[in-house]
Amino acid sequence: MADLSEADRLAQETWLQRTIRRPEIGSFIVMIVIIVVLAWASNGKAFNALGLKNNVQIIAQYGIIAIGAALLMIAGEFDLSIGSMIGFAGMSMAIMLKWGLPFGLGEATPLTALLITLAMTLTLGWAIGTIVVRSGLSSFIVTLAFLFFMRGVTEVSFRLINQSTQVSGLPDYKEESWVAWSFGGEVFGWFYDAWYWLGVQFTNMGIDRTDQWFILGGNLNRRGTQWVEGFDARFFWFILIALVAYYILSRTQLGNWIYATGDNRDAARANGVPTNKVKIGLFMFTAFCATIFAACQVFENNTSDAAKGNLMELFAIAIAVVGGTLMTGGFGTVLGVVFGAITVGLVANAVFFIPAIDGAWFRVFLGAILLAAVFANERIRKRITGGI
Amino acid sequence: MAEPYLRVEGLVKRFGPFTALGGVDLAVYPGEVHALLGDNGAGKSTLIKTLAGVHQPTEGQIYIEGKPVQFRSPRDASAAGIGTVYQDLALNQLMSVTRNFFMGRELKKGFGQLDLDKMNQIAHDEMLKIGIDFSDPTQAVGTMSGGQRQTLAIARAIHFGAKVLILDEPTSALGQKQQMGVLKTIKRVRKRGDIAIIFITHNEIHSRLVGDRFSFLALGKVIGAGTSEEISDQEMRRLMSGGAEMGDLEQELAEIG
Repeated sequence: MADLSEADRLAQETWLQRTIRRPEIGSFIVMIVIIVVLAWASNGKAFNALGLKNNVQIIAQYGIIAIGAALLMIAGEFDLSIGSMIGFAGMSMAIMLKWGLPFGLGEATPLTALLITLAMTLTLGWAIGTIVVRSGLSSFIVTLAFLFFMRGVTEVSFRLINQSTQVSGLPDYKEESWVAWSFGGEVFGWFYDAWYWLGVQFTNMGIDRTDQWFILGGNLNRRGTQWVEGFDARFFWFILIALVAYYILSRTQLGNWIYATGDNRDAARANGVPTNKVKIGLFMFTAFCATIFAACQVFENNTSDAAKGNLMELFAIAIAVVGGTLMTGGFGTVLGVVFGAITVGLVANAVFFIPAIDGAWFRVFLGAILLAAVFANERIRKRITGGI
Repeated sequence: MAEPYLRVEGLVKRFGPFTALGGVDLAVYPGEVHALLGDNGAGKSTLIKTLAGVHQPTEGQIYIEGKPVQFRSPRDASAAGIGTVYQDLALNQLMSVTRNFFMGRELKKGFGQLDLDKMNQIAHDEMLKIGIDFSDPTQAVGTMSGGQRQTLAIARAIHFGAKVLILDEPTSALGQKQQMGVLKTIKRVRKRGDIAIIFITHNEIHSRLVGDRFSFLALGKVIGAGTSEEISDQEMRRLMSGGAEMGDLEQELAEIG
């Protein structure tokens, strides 16, 4: 059979070859290089107890919105309103907590503030998605409009209701509110408990060098006490969102629809995939991710201001691309985006661990790696589609 | 002769003042290849789109197994067993063979989870039945040849219950060898005996190779029809050129120079 030999032109691959050809391999290698270089250049400070916590904080922050942006990009659309959505959600929660619920419904609790905000942001996400699919306009321009619109609404609301573009000095809700704690508290304390326990073992064995004690999470000023007690709660949300997104994208019908929608929308439609619903749902998902991002900020620091989330939409898109997501849709993996978030997060934070370098190098790096990633992704796309 | 699976009587389709189909009669039988030939603009596309439920007929009636039916949407038509394989095949290049095969009709295990093992197996088996042994259904469609893609689209239509398979110029964008592969696939589907195939083409050689029955369209009308025995090669060439006598054409060409 002629067709049989043709099918077999695709050579059988070994496990190693398959791994190397995985789409995440590029972002994985870059991530490993960054981790090694950073560990070396910072004398390990980047990965001591506090360093790890700080790095994970920014990685999780980027990761939450990058995963939302990546899923939407896989379905073939952009969302430039993520940053403004973060500002809007933060403003909404902070103002409700300070000035009470709208329409004189009384005092706000973290739960009601969050739910009402979520209702608004999801509605906005739905509206953006509906405008994009109904009008057939480019999501680039529609969401750019919402970038300005929502940032403006955020500032105006701050001034009208709060007389200032900043809310600070909110009470610390983490103590009594389970909701506030789950966004602003600390998680995975057992990790640092184990780390600290290791430090205690070292001192007990008589190896008590100060720097070692410090690296292993011991408090220098108060000997015998633990220093860092856990990761920021956003680490938990990052892991949760990443796991759910991974499962949906690679294992479910909805995931198949997301890929199909971004790859060839007409083909997906002809086969009965509800492409419009998929897109609207994903615009709502980016709005959801932005709201989670904002909730973590508000409940951790008990403050908010009108500039929160500025430029975050661009970081989210850049990380999605660095993670191997195709600009044209139809291709990308959650694992790759996680690698991308780790890479970009570590470099963004590097200046704190290596004071000798200028912080602006981060943007130089991001620009360079973004360009490299676009070329690499294009190569992968060509390989898959046979050079078309 | 058995009852036709699909029968069309006096089908008229007008777009405003323009009459795309001017009363078309057609009958397709299970286990037969019905070649539908005609020049560009003859109304082939309008006819298949009407059969596929994309357009609603202005006049005339479609019968499935003798019963009158009306298709309001492509979904109605596919529920009635009409599977259309368009020229662009409705495939996603970056996605795997299996994911394309089940696109929009995925098998689920609960919680929306895909039953990928079963899907891979079915995709492989269905394609094997009509002639491609695809060892790895997880590879992307982008790596397949045009003929293989055609086979995938046909296997998909059959698996999801097509009793009438409408193939829209399946050989037109392919190389010589792949065209033969597609014709073999058509023959294999025909051999099953339970599927009626409408094979749209403007290649008379291809239609002659696999066709049991022919209909020639020109300017929205059937200008000739018959079984392969009834229609001679010369008659075929005459009908292909829109009904004009070959002699007339030769004369016209001669007049030009």
